[in-house]
Amino acid sequence: MARFLIRRLLWLIPVMFVVAIITFVLMHMAPGGPFDKDPSQRQVDAVTQKALNAQFGLDKEEWLDFGALSKGDIVGFFDTQFFTYMIGGTVKGQWRCGFICGNLGLSFRQRGLTVQDIVLKPPEGKAPWDSKAGYSLRLGLLALFFAMLIGVPLGVVSALRQNTPVDYASLFIATSGVTVPNFVFGIFLIIIFAVFLHAVPVVPTSWDSPLVWILPTIVLGFGLLAQTARLTRASMLEVMRQDYIRTARAKGLGERVVVWRHMLKNALIPVVTIMGPALAGLITGSFIIETMFAFPGWGRQFVTAIQQRDYSMILATTLIFALLIQIANMTVDLIYTFLDPRIKVN
Amino acid sequence: MKKSALFAIIAVFVALVVVACGAPAAPPAVVQTSAPVIQTQIVEKVQTGAPVVQTQVVEKVQTVVVEATAAPAAKEKVLRINLGSYPDIVDPQKSSFVNEIAHLNLIYEGLTKFNEKLETVPGAAESWKYNDKATELTFQLRPGLKYSDGSLLNAARYKYSLMRNIDPHTAGEYAAITDEIAGAPEWRGADLSTISDEDLAKLQATVSESVAALDASGQPCKEGADGYAQEDCLTLKLTLSRPAPYFHTIMGIWVSYPAKQENIEAGGDIWWTSPKYQIGNGPFILKNMEPFVRARFEPNANYWGDKAKVPIEYAYITDSAVAFQAYKNNEFDIIGLAAEDLETVKADATLSKEANIYPGSCTFAVMFHQKKEPFTDQKVREAFAMALDRDGWVKDVLRGLGAPTLTWIPPGYPGYKTSDSWGFDPDAAKKAIADSTYGSVDKLPEITDTFSDTPRNRTRNEWLVSKWKEVLGVDVKLNPVESTTYTALTKDQATAPQMFILGWCADYPDQQNWLSVYWKTGGFGERIAYSNPDFDKLVDEADQTVDPAKRADLYEQAQDLLIKGAPVAFMWNNVNSYLVKPWVTGLQLTPQDAGWAGAQVPTSIDIDASKMPSQ
Repeated sequence: MARFLIRRLLWLIPVMFVVAIITFVLMHMAPGGPFDKDPSQRQVDAVTQKALNAQFGLDKEEWLDFGALSKGDIVGFFDTQFFTYMIGGTVKGQWRCGFICGNLGLSFRQRGLTVQDIVLKPPEGKAPWDSKAGYSLRLGLLALFFAMLIGVPLGVVSALRQNTPVDYASLFIATSGVTVPNFVFGIFLIIIFAVFLHAVPVVPTSWDSPLVWILPTIVLGFGLLAQTARLTRASMLEVMRQDYIRTARAKGLGERVVVWRHMLKNALIPVVTIMGPALAGLITGSFIIETMFAFPGWGRQFVTAIQQRDYSMILATTLIFALLIQIANMTVDLIYTFLDPRIKVN
Repeated sequence: MKKSALFAIIAVFVALVVVACGAPAAPPAVVQTSAPVIQTQIVEKVQTGAPVVQTQVVEKVQTVVVEATAAPAAKEKVLRINLGSYPDIVDPQKSSFVNEIAHLNLIYEGLTKFNEKLETVPGAAESWKYNDKATELTFQLRPGLKYSDGSLLNAARYKYSLMRNIDPHTAGEYAAITDEIAGAPEWRGADLSTISDEDLAKLQATVSESVAALDASGQPCKEGADGYAQEDCLTLKLTLSRPAPYFHTIMGIWVSYPAKQENIEAGGDIWWTSPKYQIGNGPFILKNMEPFVRARFEPNANYWGDKAKVPIEYAYITDSAVAFQAYKNNEFDIIGLAAEDLETVKADATLSKEANIYPGSCTFAVMFHQKKEPFTDQKVREAFAMALDRDGWVKDVLRGLGAPTLTWIPPGYPGYKTSDSWGFDPDAAKKAIADSTYGSVDKLPEITDTFSDTPRNRTRNEWLVSKWKEVLGVDVKLNPVESTTYTALTKDQATAPQMFILGWCADYPDQQNWLSVYWKTGGFGERIAYSNPDFDKLVDEADQTVDPAKRADLYEQAQDLLIKGAPVAFMWNNVNSYLVKPWVTGLQLTPQDAGWAGAQVPTSIDIDASKMPSQ
C-alpha cells in the first residue's frame, strides 16, 4: 500500500510538469499580453511597459536562455519565465521560490495580489468558505449531492421497472442531461424560474441565501445526474441476475431487504468509484455555469484570467486542477480496495 | 456509520430544499439591501464552525426577520447598475480600464472635474490659473474640504497622489499622462535596477519641487502627517516643463485622485481591495466590494458639492443574455445594451423607449499610409474616402451601433465641428482618380487592405473593398493577419500597412488630446507617417496659448487643415448604448460616460419611486 502511494505520488511530478509545459505553450501562443489594450486606446507607454515587465519577470526569455548559455552561464540558461514560475528565480533582484514551494505567483492584472490571495482569501469580513475556491467547492459538493440523491434512486427505479414508462422517463432525463449543453439548460431555467415564476432573482445580490444556490446546483449537477442514473440502472440490472439474489429470494427474504441490502449495495460500487473524479470535475468544470450565474467562484476567475492573459493565474489554476483530478483518481483507486477486497493495488 | 452519514447528508439537503421553498415570495433583492451590514455581522457570529449548508439556513432565517421589520416601508431607492467585468484594480494611480475608473469616479474627485458638457469645471480646487507662458499652473483648493471620514483634505494630499503617479515604483499604466510636470519623465523613466539611490533621490527631488503644496503665506507645507493636518495648505503649484494650458483638464482624471498615504501604506500592495482604506473625497462612499457579486456606494455627506441622491450598486454580470433577462425582470436599472439584443429591443414597444444610444468617445477611420503608394497622392486618398457611404456603413455593417462622421474630434467634445469634406460622392471620387497623378484606376499600384483576422473584421473590410470596387472599379486585396501581428505591424511607421482601420479614444476632454497627441509629428499618428509642418505650427501655438477662445480657434484651424489634407477616411464614432428604466431621472449623458449611462455626473441622478412597478 505504502509503495503504491509513494509511486503514485512520484508520478505526479512528471505529469504536473507536462501539464505545465502544455499550458505555458498554449497561453503564450494566444495573442496579446496582460498589459495590452484595445489598439484604439492609449497604450501603456514604453517606459512603464519596461518597468512592468521587470516587475513581473516578463523581461526574461520564455523557455531557455540560449544567450546566457553561449556565455557559459548555466544558471542563466534556466533563468527564464517558465523555470522562474515552476521552480524559482530572481525577480526585481529578489529570489522567489516558485510553484514547487506552493507559491502560485503574483497576478499580472490584479496588481498586488498573489494567486493564493485571489483564490483562497475571502472578502473582508467573510468566512473562509466565502473565498472563490470555497464557493466553487461548495457548489461542486452540492451538485454532487444533488446528482447522487436524484440519480441513484432514478437508476434503481428504472432498473426495477425495466421497460416501463418510468424507465423511459428516466432515459429521457438521462439523454437530455448528457446532450443539452449546460449553458442552454442554464438560461432555460433562468427564464422559467426567475423571469416567469419570479421564484429566484436572475442575478443574486448575495449568495448567503440558500435559494439562489438551487439553479446553479441543478444545472451543474444535471450531467452527472444523468450519468449516475444510467450507470446505476445498468449496474442494478447486472446484479439482479446474480445467483446470490436468486438465493436471497429463495430463502424468503422480503423484497425490500433484497433490494436494499443485496442489490443496491453491490450495484453501487461502480457508482461510488466515479464520484471522486466527478467531484473534481464538478469543482473545476463549472466555468460556464459560474460566468452565467455571476457566481463568485474560482471558475469565473479562471475564465477572466484567460481573457486577460493573466499568465500566473492561468498556470496556477490549471496546475491545481490537474493536481485535484489526479488526487481524486488516486483516492478512487484506494477506495476500490475497500469496496472490493479482491482488488489489490499492487 | 455509513448509513448515518448518508442520513445526515440527506437531512441537510432536504433542509436546504425545504427552507429554500418555504419562502418563495420573499423578494431577496430588496430585502437584503435594506440592512446589509447588520446581517453579515449576525451571521458571522452564528457561522463559526458550522458546516456549509447549515449556515445558509441560518442566514435565511435572518433575512425573513429583516423583512418582517421592514415590511411597511417602501422599496429602498437604490440605483442598480450592471457594470460587466469586475475591476482588476481600483487604485487611482494604477487603474486604466473603464470598469475600474467607474469605481474611482464615485469614490474620489480630482482638482477639477468635467460637467455634462465635458467642460472642465472646479472640483476640489475652487480656481486655477496659469502664468503667462502656461508653464506654471496654480490650484487654489476649497477651504475646509473633508474626506468621507471627516478628516482634512488639503493640497499635500494631491501632491502625494501626483508624486505616487510619477514614482517609477508605482509603474501605473497611465503614468505618462502627467509627463508635462517638470522632471516627471526623467524620474518615471529611471531604470531601477541600475540607478543609485542618490540619483533616484535627486530625480524625485526635482519632481517634488515641480509639485509644490504651499500654505497661505506661500511657504511649502509641512512634510508628512503634519502636512496633511495643515489647514491652510491650500495651494498646489505645478511647474511644467513646457507650456500646457490644458493641464488643468488632465487634473480632472483619475490619476490625481487623492487616496490617503497612510491607508495605502497600512494596507500594503492590496490596500485597494478593502473599503476601509478606500476613503475618498468624491460624492460617494464605498461601503462594500465583494468580488464578482456587487459593490455598494452610499452618498457622501462630507462631499462639498451637490450631494448624491441615491445609493449606487454595481453588479458584475458578463453574460449579456443574463443581464438582459435581469433587466427585464426589474433587477437592474441600467445595463449595457449588447449588439445581439438590439433588434429585440427595437421591436419591443417598452424597451425601445428605454434604449439610450448616443455618441461615445472614439473616432474610427480608414488609415492611409502617407508614404506608401498610391496614398502618397492626396487625390487618391480623397477618391477612396469619397467612395464610402458612411450612412450605409453604420446601417449595414455596424447595425446601427455607431454614428457616421467626417471629422476627427467626436461630437460632445470640446473642438467638435461638423464637416462635409470627402463625404460619399461617387462622381467626385471617380473624378479624383482621374485627376490624380495616376490618371486612371488601372495605373494604380497593387493595394491591400490589412486587418486583424476575426469574423467581424472580415465583414467590415469586405464591405470596404466591395464599395471601392463598385464605385471606383479598384481591386483591393484583403490581407487578413493574425491579431498580434496586426498590432505589431500597425505600431510602427516602417511596418504599417498601406491601409487599415484604426481609431482613437479620448483620455480627457481637450482638443490637445485629439490633435497634438495624435497628429503632431511624432505623435500616435506617426504610424501612418502623417507629418504636416503647418499643422504642427498651429497646434504648437495652440498648446502654448492660455486664452481659451484663442486656443480653441487655433485648434479649429488645425483640425480644418487636417481634414483638408484627407490623410485618412474618417468613418464613424462609436456609440454608448444602454437600457435605462423609466424611473431613473436626472440622467446627464456624455460621450465620456465610463461604464454606464450618466456616469460622468452621478450626483444628478434620482429615482422616481412612483414610476416603479408595485410588485
